Amino acid sequence: MRTNAGNLKKGEFVKYQNEIWQIQKADFYSPGKGSALMKTKIKNILSGKNIDYTFKSNEQVETLDVESIEMQFLYKDAENLYFMDERTYNQYPVPLQIVGEVASFIKEGDKIYVYLSNEKALNIRPPMSVRLKVVETEEAVKGDTVSGAKKPAKLETGVTIMVPLFVKAGEVILVNPETGTYSERVKT
Amino acid sequence: MKIITNTDNLTKYKIYIDVKKSVIDFLNKKNYLEVDLPILSPSLIPESYLEVFETDFRYLSQKEKLYLTPSPELFLKRLLSYGIKDCFYLGKSFRNSDPSSTLHSFEFMMLEFYKTKTDYWGIADELLEMLGYVSRHLSADKSGAGKSKTITYQGQKISLGQWEKISVADAFEKYAGIKEKELFDQKAFINKAEKKGYRSKGFGYEDLWSQIYTSEIEPNLGVNGYPTLIYDYPKEFAALAKLNPDGKTSQRFEFYVAGIELGDCYTELTDWKEQSIRFEQEDIKRKKAGKTGHTVDKGFIEALKYGLVDCSGVAVGFERLAMIFADARSIKEIKLIDIE
Repeated sequence: MRTNAGNLKKGEFVKYQNEIWQIQKADFYSPGKGSALMKTKIKNILSGKNIDYTFKSNEQVETLDVESIEMQFLYKDAENLYFMDERTYNQYPVPLQIVGEVASFIKEGDKIYVYLSNEKALNIRPPMSVRLKVVETEEAVKGDTVSGAKKPAKLETGVTIMVPLFVKAGEVILVNPETGTYSERVKT
Repeated sequence: MKIITNTDNLTKYKIYIDVKKSVIDFLNKKNYLEVDLPILSPSLIPESYLEVFETDFRYLSQKEKLYLTPSPELFLKRLLSYGIKDCFYLGKSFRNSDPSSTLHSFEFMMLEFYKTKTDYWGIADELLEMLGYVSRHLSADKSGAGKSKTITYQGQKISLGQWEKISVADAFEKYAGIKEKELFDQKAFINKAEKKGYRSKGFGYEDLWSQIYTSEIEPNLGVNGYPTLIYDYPKEFAALAKLNPDGKTSQRFEFYVAGIELGDCYTELTDWKEQSIRFEQEDIKRKKAGKTGHTVDKGFIEALKYGLVDCSGVAVGFERLAMIFADARSIKEIKLIDIE
């Protein structure tokens, strides 16, 4: 499929210089001289490398037709995360360097959407938020009431993030896996 | 589109209001006349890169086209021609086909001020003084102490005490490896762009120029501890600016902080014949690009015939300017209500 670069959106896949890239960021920009532009950050799906590229907004760009299918996250090794399509039992590896930091926020058994093109998994679609248990964090010191104060907390996947002082070990919290930021406590 | 309410932005919004107050205060002190202007006009200056909003005035069976002004220039230059001296407008301007992004909005605040009997370098001095004035005003405590000409934007310290000045030709050589010869020769420039990997099919000099300028030049402007003033654009980008005696460049500068363009200044073209030729060319380009056909403002040329004094003016994207002082990453962060 072809589209104007001005229509590109975060998450889409494009073919550029014969390689497949995923749009990480796309921001309209008009310098008032020459054509309007689309400033993008794109990630190479083979190497995981991010580059900044400015498209002319009326330039034709080839987008990739992809399916996103809900799969079960099985396990990860040093190179890949492995997902299974529960309808077909087919397994798909997705390179760790493509998934990036998001990988530290998903746990075995999670249902995650995976982008497929020609039976090849390109990347995962990060969930808006994930529920994770806090396994280790210091008790808040009494009297420390500075609003917005944060402390480190280790989550069940092993990753450490900053949380508000009132969060206790054993509680479950919602985290945005793309930014690694705490959003709220979940009552269990 | 929807209406977005952002009361979380209150702190940054208040800085925006303070910037507005101190800019008006500065211009008043410098004897600029504040001018309130219409935002609906029956005719406009033809500018090939701008798309406009159109509406109708209706009365009984009559209908007349009106356009939201993309800049106050057509009004302010009339006033200058008919004898008003230094003046400014701070208010809304509208540009259609600019989707909401970190630096754009189809409805935005524009500061435009004109100074008579000076060229673009005169405005450069005035502008720097204004930036310093705003910074000192924002950093002063109640006793007036602690005044500073240095701001911190996204972790970068920027001193507003002086400009870093670079010509467009030097910037292309330094940051993009494009020599002056190639820069001003359209064919050579397009070849060079192709060699660099830019797609040129269906695009002209001006499109590729702005693509390279945006990707390779702009990120280097305003990042060396001072705001950068980049000057003398190729004549293709002269718009309403006077040409330099070299015939290749125009007396236009833009200024940047942290890679963000904040404003655009010209030594104003006063020759009505030259201006009407440029208008015709721009109007043809607009039609070719399928832009909204609007009535060309003939009264503007008439005003120039009457005699525009030597003057220079600058247009500043006001939300962007306030965004720098509020240390915000996007113009969205300084608005309480936004449409997107």
